[in-house]
Amino acid sequence: MFKEIKKRFATDDVEVKRPDLYKVGIKYTRLFELVHMLRDEYEYKTLNAITCTDWIEEGHFALTYMLTTLDRKHTFMIQTMINREDAHAKTFSHEFKQAQIMERDLHEMYGIDFIGNENLKELSLENWIHTPPLRREFDTLEFVNNHLTFREGRDDNVDTKAETKRLRALKKAAKEAAKKAKEEAKAQKPKDEKIKEGGG
Amino acid sequence: MEHNGFIQEQKTLEGDLNSDTSHKNSVDFLMNWFRKRSIFVLAYGTGCGAIEMPPTFTSRYDAERLGIRGAATPRQADVIIVSGYCSYKTLRRIIRTYEQMSNPKYVLALGSCTVNGGMYWDSYNTIKKLEDYMPVDMYVNGCMPRPESILEGFIALQKEIGEGKASSWQKYEENYEFYRKNQEAVLGKKVEPSYDADWYLYDGGL
Repeated sequence: MFKEIKKRFATDDVEVKRPDLYKVGIKYTRLFELVHMLRDEYEYKTLNAITCTDWIEEGHFALTYMLTTLDRKHTFMIQTMINREDAHAKTFSHEFKQAQIMERDLHEMYGIDFIGNENLKELSLENWIHTPPLRREFDTLEFVNNHLTFREGRDDNVDTKAETKRLRALKKAAKEAAKKAKEEAKAQKPKDEKIKEGGG
Repeated sequence: MEHNGFIQEQKTLEGDLNSDTSHKNSVDFLMNWFRKRSIFVLAYGTGCGAIEMPPTFTSRYDAERLGIRGAATPRQADVIIVSGYCSYKTLRRIIRTYEQMSNPKYVLALGSCTVNGGMYWDSYNTIKKLEDYMPVDMYVNGCMPRPESILEGFIALQKEIGEGKASSWQKYEENYEFYRKNQEAVLGKKVEPSYDADWYLYDGGL
């Protein structure tokens, strides 16, 4: 099977991840052909999941389609790259009904436009007008600081790091002072004795 | 006196309630007494804290011995419990539900998420301070508060009701612009959730 895929789709990115999980990387233009082949000839009839990985440095999204055959308990992982800017892909919702809601989720979280999908309405966000939140250029902390107010700390609230440092310094100083006092006492002892002796 | 523990617990809990005598007149005293002794809590849970509510109201902790019990609909309820974190989407429903309740109404907020965001302090989709968006009578902190803490929170609330101090619904009416402004800041101009009777088919469906 691998040989056929390698030959037909001209790809070397083939890998056995586990005995029950194979992975193949492929160009986006050949994706549909491969999925149709796996579905029709090798009985991978179930689309488990569509996932997306944001490779911001390389400038693309990696879409992963997981196809499963329940008869043989085997999964095939197909990975393909699409452009990050103006991200779009063709829908699988006509081949697999479950792809509809998976694509809707990806559209919400990454802003990928799935052409041909009938309903790409927001799933769990409402009236979201900012950058899709799972894109890596979306800075969560900055967004929270700009849009939401935090409760101010208590008056007796202290910076724990600074406080620990201060306490440690105090402890150290006390230790050194004790040491010094001990040494001084040691040094003074013979003198005292001498004085006593002299006095006696 | 073998089985004294439970009775003793109840006495300790109710000791606080019966001690106060500061009332303007006897009508006020009676009204407040009725209110504090029959608290109907809306059967509504948001976030993970909802899991602590069933044991509070059922046989083990039995909140009904203090006059606290469940109510089915917002219009029959006195107290709404915001139990845990509120995402924007939940906040819409909470505000809608709160505005449907009839006066006098009280809000009990559970968990550190409602106090300052808790473990969702850097989440883009979760509010950090509940009192910016609706008035809160009593906070119960913890992550999550155990039923004992919830009961203590309820008793503190009952005490405030008995003294006539709990008046968050008046605060909401008087400062409505303030709350509405904060709500619109995170939820947009349309605060009310858009659903109708068949919301799962409406507007493209779920």
